[in-house]
Amino acid sequence: MTLVRVAPPLAQDVDLSKTYDAVIVGSGAAGGMAAHVLTTRGLKVLMLEAGKKLPIEQELRSMQWPYDHPRRGDAPPGYHSLSFNEYTIRTPPYAKNSTFKHVMSYVGGWGGSDYVKNILVDEKDHPYSGTKYAWVRARALGGKTNIWGRLALRLSDYDFKGKTHDGYGDDWPIAYADLEPYYDKVDLYLGISGVKENLPHLPDSLFQRPNKLTFGEVKLRESLKKMGRVVTPYRAGVTTDGVKHNRYRSKCYGRGACDRRPGGCDIHAAFDSPTGLIYPAMDTGNLTIRTNSIAHEVLVDSNTGKARGIAFIDSATHQSYEAKAKVVIVAASTLESARLLLLSRSSQHPNGIGNSSGHVGHNFCEHVMGPGVTGLVKDLVGKPPTLDDGLPGGFYIPRFRNLKDRQPGFVRGYGFEGSGGFSIFPGNATGTPGFGAQFKKEVRDHAGAFIGMGAFGEVLARYENYVDLDPDSKDAWGVPVLRFHYQFGDNERKMCEDMVVAGREMFEAAGIEVVGTDEKILTEGWSIHELGTARMGSDPKTSVLNQFQQSHDVKNLFVVDGSSHVSASCQNPTWTIMALAWRSCEYLASEFKKGNV
Amino acid sequence: MTDESLSRREMLEVTAAALAAPLLRAGPAAAAPVTPAALALQGAPKFFTGPEFALLEELSDLIIPTDAHSPGARAAGVAAYIDFRLSDSPDPEQQSTWRSGLAAVEALSKELNGQAFLQGSAEQRVAVLTRMAAGEHDPKTPADHFFQTVKHWTARAYYTSKVGIHADQQYKGNVYQRGEYAGFDAK
Repeated sequence: MTLVRVAPPLAQDVDLSKTYDAVIVGSGAAGGMAAHVLTTRGLKVLMLEAGKKLPIEQELRSMQWPYDHPRRGDAPPGYHSLSFNEYTIRTPPYAKNSTFKHVMSYVGGWGGSDYVKNILVDEKDHPYSGTKYAWVRARALGGKTNIWGRLALRLSDYDFKGKTHDGYGDDWPIAYADLEPYYDKVDLYLGISGVKENLPHLPDSLFQRPNKLTFGEVKLRESLKKMGRVVTPYRAGVTTDGVKHNRYRSKCYGRGACDRRPGGCDIHAAFDSPTGLIYPAMDTGNLTIRTNSIAHEVLVDSNTGKARGIAFIDSATHQSYEAKAKVVIVAASTLESARLLLLSRSSQHPNGIGNSSGHVGHNFCEHVMGPGVTGLVKDLVGKPPTLDDGLPGGFYIPRFRNLKDRQPGFVRGYGFEGSGGFSIFPGNATGTPGFGAQFKKEVRDHAGAFIGMGAFGEVLARYENYVDLDPDSKDAWGVPVLRFHYQFGDNERKMCEDMVVAGREMFEAAGIEVVGTDEKILTEGWSIHELGTARMGSDPKTSVLNQFQQSHDVKNLFVVDGSSHVSASCQNPTWTIMALAWRSCEYLASEFKKGNV
Repeated sequence: MTDESLSRREMLEVTAAALAAPLLRAGPAAAAPVTPAALALQGAPKFFTGPEFALLEELSDLIIPTDAHSPGARAAGVAAYIDFRLSDSPDPEQQSTWRSGLAAVEALSKELNGQAFLQGSAEQRVAVLTRMAAGEHDPKTPADHFFQTVKHWTARAYYTSKVGIHADQQYKGNVYQRGEYAGFDAK
């Protein structure tokens, strides 16, 4: 079934003799958005991506049945995905001395490693050191957007003005009103599915056709209404009605592929940066892309101290190159962007470019996860199978803590993601005791009766949580690696205890029998929502970027990814990353034309 | 081959169901009918010996037997899939786990019934498996541990097979839905 137009080919040889208007490092949500905004405003842009351009549809194979794959989705022998135990017992670099030929982050163990083995980095080539951290990286055109979880949420002034609200941390240099028009633009350009709930702490998007709920989810929604809480269908960064201006993406047909695997959509109804942003940007004629290009330094003009381009290594040939540009836009992901800034030391910028504040790598934050609850919807036991997973997500319970109330043990809040009903693999099969006809019937009768949810909580931004460069360790290309100094604190631990209590309470109120709770906090990094290593702010002494993600120190340097976030909020960051990048790049294009950068 | 890592999604699905297990009633194991080799194996086993394979196939079919609703593990080719995965495995430790596990089953059968597993009656075979399953939540003997392994892999293989997905679970998804998504509106 051909639903989408074939991607434009990448040029074999990229002209590195000329000076581009802008060079973008990274092709994920942030880099893709920068390319979209700048190329549509006529700037000539070069994008450098460290990974390959993959034949992504052949990687994802969204509709492949398990039995049509020789290993039922597992990667070939020699591949290994890191487990929670390994992250817990050992310290980075996790792949050191591994007997496996290839080692992937835990996402590879997420029900189908063969589908992501070429998207995720091989930990053997990409080590890091320091404190425990489950760092998930995707080096490929589009980065992690190829397999993201799709929950697309807005932040509110409870987040942007968090300090004003509760006294902790710092306010962002923008308010919701500054970003709202850009959230709208992202919604309309990329498509988002959801239901309006009119919540001040989780603003609505401009939604396309919503997800549905399963029987158990409706039960929970009805019950929580009485508690003043909300169960809303998953707000998915998925075009459910289609986006007519984009010929590379189909609308969603509810195949459920995105929930069976580590994500990914081979008809691109789920947003990914290549089809959503990059291919249309290429169609403007203003975008040149070079893949296999590992940026390792922002080059500086020794006279002016301004950025003049990027030094990079070809991942395949190990040859070194330089790309020249009038503006440098860093969008390599929160941690890789911090690494690149820190690597870019020069006489003008001895601590790394844009780092006169000493804050690059610091104020590192994310979401804490692990606690959750599982319930049994008794009315569903023994009922005939229904199609419950044919949609791009389950449900979301927005934050309800520390909005009007003040919790005694912690500040900020968390939301729950969950789903209930039948899925392709009956998860109860390995947990139901016994064997024989009775076992088989129990599995069958209960397979669709479970509902589960897990929380994502705000990790407070703290200066003392940071990354720096390891002076002793390099990656496979000789580039110094990151060293982590990062741990959850007491606020996170108290919040996690509350997640379990609150989750149980909500299920019980809905008449859902709680059959299990998970109290364990997953390793730092597990949420894949790392943020805040080059934060925005009004004061150049305590922040790296201004409100337009422009370096306080170097006015033609922009850092447009999650590293710019001042706090993590508890809402998933991708939509905010793109709205901010849109706003900043619109500003940049306008200043560029005035000759101000 | 075995992957114990948690994931965001599996945390909600697989682990959740495992947590659920203690609350599900552990009924007495029904005596499964011993069917003749329902499906002839295509060619010789790749990893197991002939007798090992026959034993594994019988164990898998005792764990997930054919019933009035759907065919069981034998018909789903569970043993052949496990055999292929082990022949493909670079991990000698894992391979020896299976060899010694099957040997432990035979030893237990000799102890309980005085004869090889497959020579026992249907009741005798079930008795051996019942003993192995008794330690499921706190395995102590090699046979207890092997029960966990063989059950885990039988379940993985069965519920990812055509028989498991379509005949037993009657899974409705992985289809193009042209109109509305199935489900209920959030009112």
